Amino acid sequence: MNLRQFTLNRKLAMLAVALGTLALLAQPHRGPFVKLDARELASVVEEEVDHVTASELATWIVEGRADYRLLDLRTAEGYAAYHIPTAENVPLTGLADYPLLRNEKLVLYSEGGIHSAQAWMLLRAQGYEAVYMVLGGLDAWKDEVLFPSLPADADAAARAQFERATQVAKFFGGEARVAGGAAPPTVGAELPKLAAPPPMPAPATPIAKKKKKEGC
Amino acid sequence: MMTPLYKYGFFGEEFSLLVAFVLGLGFGFFLERAGFGSARKLAAQFYLYDMSVFKVMFTAIVTGMLGVTYLGWIGWLDLDLVYLVPTFLGPQIVGGLVLGVGFVVGGYCPGTSVAALATGRIDALVYALGIFTGTFAYAEVYPSIKDLVNANPMGQVTLPEVFGLPWGLVVFAVVVIAVVGFWGATKIELWAGSRP
Repeated sequence: MNLRQFTLNRKLAMLAVALGTLALLAQPHRGPFVKLDARELASVVEEEVDHVTASELATWIVEGRADYRLLDLRTAEGYAAYHIPTAENVPLTGLADYPLLRNEKLVLYSEGGIHSAQAWMLLRAQGYEAVYMVLGGLDAWKDEVLFPSLPADADAAARAQFERATQVAKFFGGEARVAGGAAPPTVGAELPKLAAPPPMPAPATPIAKKKKKEGC
Repeated sequence: MMTPLYKYGFFGEEFSLLVAFVLGLGFGFFLERAGFGSARKLAAQFYLYDMSVFKVMFTAIVTGMLGVTYLGWIGWLDLDLVYLVPTFLGPQIVGGLVLGVGFVVGGYCPGTSVAALATGRIDALVYALGIFTGTFAYAEVYPSIKDLVNANPMGQVTLPEVFGLPWGLVVFAVVVIAVVGFWGATKIELWAGSRP
């Protein structure tokens, strides 16, 4: 058979048919079974791309970003007392049954960081790829975002950054502190009152999601 | 490395806008190259004597479909992470008809009108003004038609899920439909072109 007797369009059509036929065998979705790549996970941890800092998260919330879901892994009581704005309460034990989609970016936090790290591993093992932890958990949120403090010997750059952090702290109902005071920032610090705890946001359904603009 | 890159956090929002800009330039360039900067060419689709729109769109569908299928198969793309426009069956049929009427009346679809505007066409400028007017009007009446717009939501679904068929079978079927469609489209062009 001489291929030259066909026009380019026909050749492309034949290629498409060949690839389409081969695709009958394709399995592009992994199904319910997942394989854990221990080396990949280790390198994710090593390269520190498995977390966001509390300050980064604060910036996202201020900017009103909606491309991720923030999950509070603490108990319902802890959540009711205080939680990072926009967070959904998912106690660790309920994680398996909680309606999450594998194509969502999930940001986890707990009191310190241990529970969120464990949940991170559980979710990764179930094939949730875009899972991140808030580094240092709620403790870091208090220290960095709600009650940031400025060391006495800070240079100009640090001072400029602190100015910004002060605004962010005010946004979240916290208060910046200039060091020199004897008390470490979080001790005795009153957490912002959640006057009326906002109702827990309903699990995001595909409908509620921000629509993307796509067209022909 | 796994894709989609943005969802995996390989780059941030600002850079994703840059990526979108580059992709948009490419999109516009190829629309223009396909002749879609001309309203005559686009309207010809509806009079059946030039089926280029059908062919270009179906080529894009087949190319993209085979691309994501194979990338997913060899494990470079996680299809579960790819954003799909949620399906609202009824509203989208109505919307598609409205878009189709606008397409044949105005001679452009939203994307091609921008490409045509970039080449300085006045009819495309009028069309673009229409887009803004329409968008504004839609936003104004949105509260009263909200329930209609959000009727029968099906979420982010794919044909294999809706019909309960294996992924590969749907891919194969679409390729066959496309090839048969191309053949039929060429026949239709010959027939429509020979009409008095």
